[in-house]
Amino acid sequence: MAEKFIFSSKEISFLRELIKQGVEFILVGLSAAALQGAPVVTQDIDLWFKDLADPGIKKALKKVGGFYVNPIGLNPPMFAGNAVKLFDIVSTMPGLDSFDNEIGNCIKLTLGKIKVPVLKLERIIKSKETVGREKDKIVLPVLKDVIETIKGLKKIKTYGK
Amino acid sequence: MLLSEAGVSKTAYYHLLYKDTLLPDTIHRIAQVLEVRPSAFLEEINPAEKQVKRILFLTDKILANRPLLDRENVRHTLILLYEKPIERLRRSLIRGRKIYILQ
Repeated sequence: MAEKFIFSSKEISFLRELIKQGVEFILVGLSAAALQGAPVVTQDIDLWFKDLADPGIKKALKKVGGFYVNPIGLNPPMFAGNAVKLFDIVSTMPGLDSFDNEIGNCIKLTLGKIKVPVLKLERIIKSKETVGREKDKIVLPVLKDVIETIKGLKKIKTYGK
Repeated sequence: MLLSEAGVSKTAYYHLLYKDTLLPDTIHRIAQVLEVRPSAFLEEINPAEKQVKRILFLTDKILANRPLLDRENVRHTLILLYEKPIERLRRSLIRGRKIYILQ
């Protein structure tokens, strides 16, 4: 199926290498929300790194033929290369606690054969409310509906029909 | 081995195998009067149809307790929850990048 090529083994390889190198990261943003069932669209996969200076990041990049591009002007650092072009680097998450506190409260979801830490919907909402850009405000009602839908579904499954 | 796994004896299997039909005679007679094939009375359970019906049922059930939710959001979330996380992400990226290309 052609659609599978958008997030395929090459992207999973990068995430696997990050894990193998012991790099601490959390999948955040709308891609994290999508993984949890939110009907939202996104162009990139945001990765929040505990420490961007972690040498494991460059080692993982090297394994998949990717590169780290330092910040230029006011622009944030970026990854370059086919295997990593879908990923965006996040170094801070407004409205949230420290990385160490947030990672303890993440959920782990399976992507291929690996499990990645994913920021919970409630925390994604908190962050988007804090940032407050128009594009964040638009998606907030959807994310809140997703939380309520999951709660409703759990209730049905718990108490039967 | 297959029969053993299905819990069917060889005797029962061959008994069925040599019968002209497995449908009751009444079905054949009604079908004949209606001029339809006897199989018209057999409803196959299509898994995709069953899943959609389940999603629609759950959508109504959830909205009954949470009427302020957006029906589309609930339904689309349930559809995605039936998918694996990686498929949910792919759907999101495919649509997101299509919008980006069209802009």
